[in-house]
Amino acid sequence: MPDLPELNPVVHGRLRLALLSLLSGVEEAEFTWLRAKTEATDGNLGAQLLKLEEAGYVAVEKKFVSRKPQTVYRISEAGRQALTEYVEALKQLLGAAIHA
Amino acid sequence: MQDNTTEQELNERLTLIESMIAEGRRNTESWGWTFVLWGVAYYVALAWSEWGHTAWAWPATMLVAVIVTVVVASLKGSDHPETTLGRAIGSIWIALGVSMFVLFLALGLSGRLTDQHLFLAVVAAILGMANGASGLILRWKIQFACAVVWWVAAVAACFGSDTQSTIVFVVAIFLCQIAFGIYGAIAEAQERKRSAPIHA
Repeated sequence: MPDLPELNPVVHGRLRLALLSLLSGVEEAEFTWLRAKTEATDGNLGAQLLKLEEAGYVAVEKKFVSRKPQTVYRISEAGRQALTEYVEALKQLLGAAIHA
Repeated sequence: MQDNTTEQELNERLTLIESMIAEGRRNTESWGWTFVLWGVAYYVALAWSEWGHTAWAWPATMLVAVIVTVVVASLKGSDHPETTLGRAIGSIWIALGVSMFVLFLALGLSGRLTDQHLFLAVVAAILGMANGASGLILRWKIQFACAVVWWVAAVAACFGSDTQSTIVFVVAIFLCQIAFGIYGAIAEAQERKRSAPIHA
């Protein structure tokens, strides 16, 4: 039986997985939009986004629009690659579970 | 990690990924009101030029419509994400607005905007181009049908009498701006209802 893949712990967190998936479908998204879509608290969302940023999976840009601060996030190439690998690993694990 | 992860959990993760990707791509922007606004602006400009007999009717009305569009759009604000599709559609309409404004302002000021048939044909053809491009990109048959209506109006302006071409143009404005705008606004409101936050 082939070795089963490890699930990337950074991607595996439910909120982090939701954030990466959301960001994979758009070019960039604001903090407020991510908060609305996930219904996470500011603190939790900020903490999970920081973990993704530290892993190099998202890029952050802080700017001012009409004198209001705006934090914009976008998925990086590494983040897209990590998400793709995570999905592949999930499928392999599910396949193994079905055939077990 | 997988030792502690049940099959149900794995399936939930896959479902979460799918739903979030779909959520990100869902378009919740509202632009139906701009179609209605510009439809009304076209009616005002047509009536003003018909009964006011001034070359400034179209440039002045279009300028006011541009200002109202920009002001309302900035007041509405936006925190929705940027997508390639959204930028492509937005670019088409911004380019259309700039082209029409520059062309008709220049024609009006130079005194060469004298042929009503040519004017209606060019406006209808440009609107047909923008609606056709948007309809094809979005694969939205109703918007592509609007493009067809505009192209019919462009041909009618070339071959019809003054009255006929004006009537076709007025009907095209009603169908492709007012009715389509109201339909779009309703569809956008329904889409926003459906895209209520998902617990993650």
